[in-house]
Amino acid sequence: MKKALIAAAALAALTSAAHAQDTLRVGTEGAYAPWNFVNDSGELAGYEIDLANALCEHTGMTCEIVQNDWDSIIPNLVAGNYDVIMAGMSITDERLETINFTQDYFPVDPSKYIVTAGTEVDFDNMSGMRIGVQGNTIQAAFVEENFADGNTVVSFATFDQSIADLAAGNVDVVLADGSSLEPVVENSGGALEFVGEDVAVGGGVGGGVRKEDTELLATLDEALTALKADGTVDALRAEWFDGVEAAYTE
Amino acid sequence: MESEAFWLYDLVGEDIAFWIGYLTNGKHLNWYASFRFTIMAAVFGAILALVFGLLGAMAKASRFAPLRAVGSVYVGMVRGIPDVLFFLFFPLAFEQAVEWVLAMQVCTPESIAATQAKWPPCREANWLLTTNQYLILACVSLGIIYGAFTANVIHGAMRAVPKGQLEAARAYGMSDFQVLTRIHVRQMWVYALPGLSNVWMLLIKATSLLSLLQVADIVWWAGQLGSPNFLPQAGLVHGDWRWAYYIALFVFYILVTLLSEKAFNRLNLWARRGMPEEG
Repeated sequence: MKKALIAAAALAALTSAAHAQDTLRVGTEGAYAPWNFVNDSGELAGYEIDLANALCEHTGMTCEIVQNDWDSIIPNLVAGNYDVIMAGMSITDERLETINFTQDYFPVDPSKYIVTAGTEVDFDNMSGMRIGVQGNTIQAAFVEENFADGNTVVSFATFDQSIADLAAGNVDVVLADGSSLEPVVENSGGALEFVGEDVAVGGGVGGGVRKEDTELLATLDEALTALKADGTVDALRAEWFDGVEAAYTE
Repeated sequence: MESEAFWLYDLVGEDIAFWIGYLTNGKHLNWYASFRFTIMAAVFGAILALVFGLLGAMAKASRFAPLRAVGSVYVGMVRGIPDVLFFLFFPLAFEQAVEWVLAMQVCTPESIAATQAKWPPCREANWLLTTNQYLILACVSLGIIYGAFTANVIHGAMRAVPKGQLEAARAYGMSDFQVLTRIHVRQMWVYALPGLSNVWMLLIKATSLLSLLQVADIVWWAGQLGSPNFLPQAGLVHGDWRWAYYIALFVFYILVTLLSEKAFNRLNLWARRGMPEEG
């Protein structure tokens, strides 16, 4: 039994190495609409799924999309479970110490504060507030750095959960990507609203690859440049994000 | 398709037709399909637990001291470790052991130097487990954990068989093996069944841990389906509905335990056949 398992694993490892150029395994969270999520048909969908397929079509690779929890998405890339992360991940110096990023496929997306309608937040002397964020995000780092004194930072495993707890009154304010919050506020029927000024953190959203995969990085960058030039990237952005302006074409 | 929907609307009204549609969309069908993981884990986990339990009980009752020590250590240690912890530990340890063996065969100094990750040593030695492989490891984990409880139950039940029965059998001239199979094990089941039924109930409940091993099981899907959605593109916009999905799971587990209780009562009657009535 064990020998058979080892042999099977060895075979799988060898075949995957031999086809490394043909298959692009894309790691995504699948819980971050409209970037990547499981739709009502039970399939992965969203901006990054469409973009990954466009990249594969352009480079002639076969896309295989792997769902992975946000918390372990970088370690599992480094371990080799997939080849590129496309999960609404902002390019930051901290992450660049561990992995490389392609050029961005979504420009800097300002973070926004969201509250239940009518909540006042005094950002200059915030104290005693419960601030919700998704763990291991740029917003989590920002809040820890700026508001950890005198406030409680509540970290959630998924974005959806942070909003559910805001709506239920378990946290007072949530800081998250504006692009994900827009549809939330729009569809809340006035129950949730933005407050305060936008926060500019992070450096655009890009695909994360292992440091040693320089060839793959070059291939993806080249493909992204081409897809930006022919308008594919902006068309997909317009399709998935209401009211965003074209960023990569004139 | 259109006409089909219309007769459904006429038959049950708009609201009910909507809910039927919602509860049979692809995401929900995935949820229903995921029940197979839970059922398979319970069935194969139980079979393995019985195998490990019989082996453990045999080891514990062995006349050979080292084997007896192995049996006692297995039963004592595994029963004392929280099941969640063992569930996380065993598959991980097994995966890394396989990767370690694999790494010794396929890794070269160059490929190790080219790999940035601390583990596995080189990329070729990485073993990415599929859902089915995780399911197998989950069954084995359940088998090991509940095998320890089963071993204890069977060990106790073997000792509960009245000594007079065994002596009488020997007096009739049966060999040791005949005494064991015809009298001892045969009567052991009567004493073991109540305890085994408890172990089965615990094992059923432990199947809800499958999502810890990346298996998209009923608990994982319930969380996914119930979590609030604010984006019309992603489907029906709704608030936090996880409570409803978790209640559905409560009902499922309670039904399974009720049915199990009935099945064990029948099994008990069967095991007691030919034996004097109690009391």
